[in-house]
Amino acid sequence: MKRSRFELPYLPLRPSRKSANHRFGRLDIVLFIVLLIYGILIIFPFYNAFLISISPEHVYNETPLLLWPKELTFASYSSVFANKNLWSGFRITMILLTVGTIYQMFFTIITGYALSRSKWFGKNFLMNMILVTMFFGGGLIPYYYLITNLNLHDKIWVMIIPGAIDTFNMLLMRNYFQSLPKELEESARIDGANDIQIFVKVYLPLALPMIATVGLFFAVGNWNSWYNAMLFVKTPSLWPLQFVLRNLIITGASNIEGTITSPDTYSQGLVMASIFFTIVPMMCFYPFLQRFFVKGIVVGAIKG
Amino acid sequence: MGLPAVIFYFIFCYIPMYGVLMAFTHYYPKRGILGSLTTSFVGFNNFKTIFNDPYFWQVLGNTVFIGLGKIIISFVASLLIALLLNEIRMRVFKKSVQIIVTFPHFLSWVVVAGFVNLFFVTDGAINSIVVFFGGQPIDFLRNGPFFITLLFGSDIWKEAGWGSIIYLATMAGISPELYEAADIDGATRLQKIWHITLPAIKPTAILLLILSVGGILSAGFDQIFNLYNPLVYSVSDILDTYIYRSQFNDNVNAGITTAIGLFKSVVSFILVLTVDRIAKLSGERGII
Repeated sequence: MKRSRFELPYLPLRPSRKSANHRFGRLDIVLFIVLLIYGILIIFPFYNAFLISISPEHVYNETPLLLWPKELTFASYSSVFANKNLWSGFRITMILLTVGTIYQMFFTIITGYALSRSKWFGKNFLMNMILVTMFFGGGLIPYYYLITNLNLHDKIWVMIIPGAIDTFNMLLMRNYFQSLPKELEESARIDGANDIQIFVKVYLPLALPMIATVGLFFAVGNWNSWYNAMLFVKTPSLWPLQFVLRNLIITGASNIEGTITSPDTYSQGLVMASIFFTIVPMMCFYPFLQRFFVKGIVVGAIKG
Repeated sequence: MGLPAVIFYFIFCYIPMYGVLMAFTHYYPKRGILGSLTTSFVGFNNFKTIFNDPYFWQVLGNTVFIGLGKIIISFVASLLIALLLNEIRMRVFKKSVQIIVTFPHFLSWVVVAGFVNLFFVTDGAINSIVVFFGGQPIDFLRNGPFFITLLFGSDIWKEAGWGSIIYLATMAGISPELYEAADIDGATRLQKIWHITLPAIKPTAILLLILSVGGILSAGFDQIFNLYNPLVYSVSDILDTYIYRSQFNDNVNAGITTAIGLFKSVVSFILVLTVDRIAKLSGERGII
């Protein structure tokens, strides 16, 4: 069995060496400070944006670079939570997140499994045809007319159906299935299991860690999706959250129909509150899920 | 079970590839591809039109500059961050920094563009610092050189932390005995980095570089599209944004826009093959 060209050697995630025989030197302090500054540079935009979302307009105008809250107001958040567009976007995004993710995982997993099995006619041919698509494609315009011909314009499906298989995630699944012992299949077959049973009862449970990783990649992708909506969806009630947010930012939150404005609200505050509306779920889950993502990228080691 | 894959890749990858034939026609959506091929075939005229358009060359120049710049900058930044994280010895601190700096990768460019706008508008936070030190407010988002710097900067902010993960994992796989042997020989930390760590991650780095070369001409549609404005088109318009605007805002014929897309695909493909060949000739593991 030839190993995949896309496989890197197994890379264990463990501290590279013990530091028992090292003292805490000057270099360590420099490293600490540099990394601390880098971390602060990453966090600061979130912090500042959050402060702006809970500050009234005059505070923002006087000191855009807020370092601590000076005066609290929840005007921006009450406007955001009363915004029908954002809730409609949230609803669509939840549909993409559930239906889309399950749909994508189904196709990606069975394809990865099929391509990991040792022998069937045309397997290598199919594999090569798939790898070609990673480096060569028809481009946006033929794709656009394809969607037109499939009559998918302005339907929620256009944001789901074309995403059935992500080649990168599919290769992750395939490599994982390939790493599982072949003997399991043989012994299951002796016990009289058919192909479907071998897949569902033997291999699928063993692949759960990688399934979790792939599922999370898909979920994030769906949560962040806006491009297909921009290209193909003209009906505002079908816009996903990110696209609603994009319009808020581009047009200016106060000028958009459906934004509830009051004397206490202002565009920048509304935009920041809306941004937090879309990223708070991610911020809550991410620290606990980070290791799954990291494992995916480390095992797959492609796509940079 | 391979059947759905056959159907999927056929419809969503290979039909668009067949669709590139549009590039050789004056395309009429109503006639379809075959109809346009038979009634309004134009040969290589679309390509002649494109190549004679000075703006196309400007856009191509922008694309290569931004695409190549991002590859180099993000490579250096990711590697540097990985080295720093690998050398730091405080486990909890290292873990926290890792979680924090990888997070922006999972935000969409819509959100990051919102942050960039917030900080860099004329009456925003950065300009309040400029004014505090007695300067004039700068319109970062509408000034070419500043805008390009912002593109690179926001790309580092969003992606470098995540990019460092793969290098960090490779570094974690280096055998500790190598470092111990170096300790016995009296090597300094910098010497260990230079002679052990960097050579060990070279294959990974080359693999990632080959893969990223295919993306030079993509240069980041999501980012630029969410950040740019007509005043900086001259420096930040890339092939993808140019194709998008020509097709959907300026009503350029789909034959022309497809031709630009085909040009991009073919050149990218050739780039990947070339870099892969060069890597193999210099004794590295390629991808193809």
